[in-house]
Amino acid sequence: MILSQTQELRRGTVVLACLALLERPQYGYALLETLNDAGVAVDGNTLYPLLRRLEKQGLLSSEWNTEESRPRKFYRVSPEGSRVRTGLVREWQDLVDSIARLTQENR
Amino acid sequence: MSTTTLTERYVHEVVRRIPAGQRDDVAAELRGTIADTVEAREPAATDEAERDVLTEMGDPALLAARYADRPTVLIGPDLYPTYIRVLVLLLTAVLPVVTAVAVVLDVIDGAGLGTVIGTGIGTVITVGAQMVAWLTVVFALVERAQGSAAPERRASPWSPDDLPEHRPSDRGGVGACAAAIGNALLIGLIVWQHTAAPYRAGGAGGDRLQVLDPGLWSGWIWPILAGLAGVVVLELVRVAARGWTVQRAAWYAAAEALFALPLAWVLYRQEFFNPAFLTDFNGDWTTPDSFYTAAVLVVLAVSAGAVITRFREARPFAARG
Repeated sequence: MILSQTQELRRGTVVLACLALLERPQYGYALLETLNDAGVAVDGNTLYPLLRRLEKQGLLSSEWNTEESRPRKFYRVSPEGSRVRTGLVREWQDLVDSIARLTQENR
Repeated sequence: MSTTTLTERYVHEVVRRIPAGQRDDVAAELRGTIADTVEAREPAATDEAERDVLTEMGDPALLAARYADRPTVLIGPDLYPTYIRVLVLLLTAVLPVVTAVAVVLDVIDGAGLGTVIGTGIGTVITVGAQMVAWLTVVFALVERAQGSAAPERRASPWSPDDLPEHRPSDRGGVGACAAAIGNALLIGLIVWQHTAAPYRAGGAGGDRLQVLDPGLWSGWIWPILAGLAGVVVLELVRVAARGWTVQRAAWYAAAEALFALPLAWVLYRQEFFNPAFLTDFNGDWTTPDSFYTAAVLVVLAVSAGAVITRFREARPFAARG
């Protein structure tokens, strides 16, 4: 029960975390590691399609890096993505404040 | 060697399910990502590590659906309520009518009771299955057609105006339904005894006889049947409209008169039953005249009573609007 509720709650935060992290270009697996190290639990089979969707929506841009032995696709936040991130961060702060108030009142 | 094939097979299974334009790009990225993951787990890149990574990535079909941003449900939440509404309408309103028509056609063809029941059950199963199947196909196609365009947009936004009127439960509806079914059965029975001639004179081996006078079919049976059909229709209208109006009650009175007056007349003239049937059925006994007089009075009284009841039920509705 708690697990499915937690998943529901976390679903939207991965987008925000990606938009925040990809200020510097990153490729898929490295981003996954960074996110998991930072405590944002996400699976590869969710993250990789998500990156492409955000790219399709114009929030990320991508570039292939073929300089190293293994070609990798690097993603970074587009100007539009930065704007969306600012809005999402504000929303997130409001939510944190609201929930903090609510949980305090009910104690 | 086998390591590459396993990854290659997995990548192929994913990309063959996504739009052709993205295939190469997704395949290249997926290959790199899987290799990165395997390498991070175990620098030697063993078969086992690759197997584990692919297991974690999960079913290629599911991953492809995520890449293609495709719905993994047949009918999504937007269409589901409409789907259920139409399905219920088809199965509770259209299917019974179709079945009734099929059964009546069989009866008119003079089929036996077993065949008629078989037709009824067969129609319910085959037509019902067709309805469910085709409706589902249509809704699934609509889901896919509009799915990628704008999932939030509905055909017309819901507003409080769409709320159905709050209606108190319709207690008379069940009675009207029963009356409609009863009268429809009566029509079927009359037609059946004419076409199948089920009565056998002098026991099982005798001639097949009609119960009612065959002469009726060149005369009085037609207004009787028409009146019964009118009554069935009006009772069904009453179920749908949840009540009688004065106008509909008047139509009901006309249908009832069309049915009852000719019936009373042929009973009065003693031309109702097949004489051959009566002779065989009664044996030495003769039907007394008083039987017909009583039957005439019962028919007229029941019909008059039914008409009066309809008008009484109609009054409060007419006053309201």
